[in-house]
Amino acid sequence: MQGKTEIREFLQGLLTSYGDSAPFHDSEPLLSGGRLQSIDAVEIVMFLEQKFGVDFATIGFDRDRIDSVDAITDLVESFKSADKRSE
Amino acid sequence: MKYFGSAANGTFDFRLIPRIETYPKVVSFSQTSIGKSVILALFGLGIRFFIPASISVIVFTSIFGLTTFLPAYRRFILAVCPITLVLLQSTHDPLLFGSILTVVILGIFLYWCAMGWPQSRFGKRPIAFLLTGFTALILLACAATRHSLTYLILWGLVGAMASYVWFIGYALLDRSSKPKRDLTLELASFRPLWGSTNTPFPKGAAYLRRIEAQNPEQLAITQLKGLKLLTWAILLAVFQILWYRFFHGYLQIPTSAQALAMSVRGTPVAWHLRWESQLLYFFESVLAISVTGHRFIAGCRMAGFNALRNTYRPLSSTTIAEFFNRFYYYYKELLVDFFFYPTFFRYWKGNRRLRMVFATFAAVVFGNAFYHFTRDWQNIMDEGLWNALADYQVFLFYSAALATALSVSQLRKQDRKPTGFVLGRLLPTIGVGLFFCLLNVFVPNERTYPLIAHLRYFASLFSIHF
Repeated sequence: MQGKTEIREFLQGLLTSYGDSAPFHDSEPLLSGGRLQSIDAVEIVMFLEQKFGVDFATIGFDRDRIDSVDAITDLVESFKSADKRSE
Repeated sequence: MKYFGSAANGTFDFRLIPRIETYPKVVSFSQTSIGKSVILALFGLGIRFFIPASISVIVFTSIFGLTTFLPAYRRFILAVCPITLVLLQSTHDPLLFGSILTVVILGIFLYWCAMGWPQSRFGKRPIAFLLTGFTALILLACAATRHSLTYLILWGLVGAMASYVWFIGYALLDRSSKPKRDLTLELASFRPLWGSTNTPFPKGAAYLRRIEAQNPEQLAITQLKGLKLLTWAILLAVFQILWYRFFHGYLQIPTSAQALAMSVRGTPVAWHLRWESQLLYFFESVLAISVTGHRFIAGCRMAGFNALRNTYRPLSSTTIAEFFNRFYYYYKELLVDFFFYPTFFRYWKGNRRLRMVFATFAAVVFGNAFYHFTRDWQNIMDEGLWNALADYQVFLFYSAALATALSVSQLRKQDRKPTGFVLGRLLPTIGVGLFFCLLNVFVPNERTYPLIAHLRYFASLFSIHF
């Protein structure tokens, strides 16, 4: 999935801003695992809003859903399919 | 596991307490019955440092023994024991007993409603309903005739609610997390066995689910980490005692509160002593929060939940936002979860900077003030609503200054580039420490003296007198 690569690159960029260049798995929890700070959740949210049009005010916010590359990919996929259904 | 984004930064990795949880032989031994008993005994001995009553230590350790040897019943034990202990301790006071029981039942009821009707008005915004309801209860208590039965009952409920409101709040926030419908863990997180302030340590049941040990090896590692953290808490507590004896006893440097009080009385201490007391207060606040948080999280880990530390290397922070995150993590998380996110997702979505600043102010000024104002409910009861609000002028000023600094810090984060040790690490670290040293002028005696007294004291640090 193209989006997954973008998500991974974005998260890598956030980690790099802390000087954290260690590799991470797609399933690795980055927020709850402590590699990213809660304020980074805001960066992730804004990235998802701008890049994929995800509206958290509508779908509700659960930090678990933006905790890893896999979780974010699932969130984007489910948002897209829900969005299509509502068309 | 790294904490709070503390990345590899090339610093010397000295450890006063060895990483015993990484030693295979120690981990294997800790999974045996004898090993578990040794860990429990060591934990009991350690926690005795903080709990004077031996019987409490025995009860506390015995419950951890049950969760260790009967991990399948961990959630049930942790759900039943704390509330039972609290109720047993309050049997001498029927009002307290009834208030706590009422609030806990109310918390369960609200959780059940939020889960049952997620699309209702309450189900969509349960925190707004909870906090509005709590505010209404306080207003009702303020309106009641002093010393009447209604007055006593209402203030009893306010007191119990103040203790449980954020725990209930986390249970309500957990309504959207998966897997759902786990009331035992929700109850276990209501003023948990390992202790907490009014801030839930460590957050709610959703977080506990994620960090719960799933097998004997994980439990052993988590408990060893708990034991290490407790040892660290004891070492810091001993250091704290020596620190006070040396600086405030032997050197007779006044505490920050004393220095401020003497300035207000017109007999200020010398300029250098005012600075020294401010610097000491900064380190003392870090020490105090570290000891308290480490003790709670050590207990949490002993129960089988690998929670992040509450305080983690705050003195290495290079930004104000990073310090705020590292200093009192679970309180910051509370402000973020209950105030920052709801504001951030709803308002000023078209303006990135304004959105961030508005949400930060909602959390750090409104949320912070609401938390402390309701936590100190006895002040409202004694002084009356308006006087109590007026007493908060210093705290509001402190919160506004902190929110401004945090907003700037967050907005500058994107531009931050490491530029070597001195410019990239040393100077920013000193700057952050200095900022909080100065901000702490508005912390001690914040309800004793008016804002102008604190401002005068602040100016006097720079030899400005008015």
